[in-house]
Amino acid sequence: MSDLNSMGRAFLAVMRRDLHVFLSYRTRVVSQALTSVFSLTLFYYVSRLVHVTGFATPASYFGFVVVGIALLSVLYSCFSVSEIVRQELVAGTFERLLLSPFGAVRSVIALSLFPLLYSFVMAAVTLGIGCAVFGLQLHWSTVPLSIPATGLALLAFLPFGLGFAALSVATKQGNVGTTWVIALISIVGGLYFPISLLPHWVQTASKLQPFTPATEMLRHLLVNSPQSTPTGTAVVKLLGFAAVLLPASVFALHRAIRFGQRRGTIIEY
Amino acid sequence: MTVETLEVSSPSAGIARADAFPLALRDVEKRWGKAQPPVLEGVNLTLELGTRTWIGGRNGAGKTTLLRIAAGLIDPDHGRAQVWGRTANENRTRYQRLVSFQPAGDRGLYARLTVRRQLQFWARIAMMTPARVRPKVEETIDAFELRELADRRVDRMSMGQRQRLRIAMTFLTEPEIVLMDEPLTSLDDEGAAILDLAIEGLIARHGALLWCSPTGEHEQLEHRFDACWVLEQGRLVPA
Repeated sequence: MSDLNSMGRAFLAVMRRDLHVFLSYRTRVVSQALTSVFSLTLFYYVSRLVHVTGFATPASYFGFVVVGIALLSVLYSCFSVSEIVRQELVAGTFERLLLSPFGAVRSVIALSLFPLLYSFVMAAVTLGIGCAVFGLQLHWSTVPLSIPATGLALLAFLPFGLGFAALSVATKQGNVGTTWVIALISIVGGLYFPISLLPHWVQTASKLQPFTPATEMLRHLLVNSPQSTPTGTAVVKLLGFAAVLLPASVFALHRAIRFGQRRGTIIEY
Repeated sequence: MTVETLEVSSPSAGIARADAFPLALRDVEKRWGKAQPPVLEGVNLTLELGTRTWIGGRNGAGKTTLLRIAAGLIDPDHGRAQVWGRTANENRTRYQRLVSFQPAGDRGLYARLTVRRQLQFWARIAMMTPARVRPKVEETIDAFELRELADRRVDRMSMGQRQRLRIAMTFLTEPEIVLMDEPLTSLDDEGAAILDLAIEGLIARHGALLWCSPTGEHEQLEHRFDACWVLEQGRLVPA
């Protein structure tokens, strides 16, 4: 039990360290909030300019896309862990994490927590700006449910980040494929437009990943968008993805670290 | 729970059980690429409690590789490194609690954290109890004369100051075995004296030190060590 407590405190220590480093860059929050404002402005006018099939009003498409933009920041944070690992390798701090009683695998998982939490906050800020500046109508009665739903989505998304972190440990490159994977997910996950617009085979393929059900569920809870599958089914799907992919990604990370230790390349960068 | 015992043929201990020593390297071999000659070949070494051991060698002789294997950072191709009879892969948490490694160079620090926050972070990652973290960090700040720098960010410190912090981090958790790779790099006389005191403390609490540095340093440092070896063509020979 005391070991579990120590481990919990070590996870918190990594998050606290990331917070201190984050706060040392004073303009970062402002810069990211401005990025949100500009993205929302762009899509606000696109929603008014173009009539999108399946949306009764410009406001309903705007609500749809704002949730997509908010989720995209969460998605980016999941994948950012590979670049963070790369930075730790370059700084020589990965070596120290590996040689700590906390260990490398736990450390990498811990490294992903602050970016996830921060992206959660930034997603809320994006929605807040959408409401305050662009008149986004949230479905307040189900908004509180979106918090546990986002937590569940994070559990289903995190394995992708850990998988890419394993790749980063093995290949010493931070962004191996993450950019195009995120771009692909934003298309097949329906972040900017409904997947019903995509070819049938792409729609089928999109069911093989957790982003589509998570996006659809969160949209339903936040802006009352219609769902193609009930919330319960989406929850079961996400739980299933998390249950299978989390252990698999942790295993992959462990193997990547052991591979580097055996070859002696673990701290190369 | 069983502890595997190994007979170890060691320059410093003759034939003995591996679990009788805080650190034992047995028949360690490592090569970088199959076509390359081994960097380490049949290296046997034991550290005893309350002793200081020095390993020298020319640049590229394999000193850092030896330390990395001893620290549990990388695996040998053959042989094993054991702390009280167990390898890092058998019980990594225990191994890393007992061993502290100060790598060569000036890396391994978070540039945007202050000295105090850096020490607090590594104390927590070492899974120290919360009640112990703060006093231990403050004690370390004083012991390594970092008080004036405690709230300064690392990227605003000189190389020598960073080295002092790196050494402070090595001793922070009161490890039993300390492995140091060229610890005098960038240190001034005052820093070197502080390091001496830290090593005295380690020896006083029956810890063991393994110090690696280029051969030239040996002439100045010989009096400080209980055993001195040189790595030549992958093998340990008496200095």
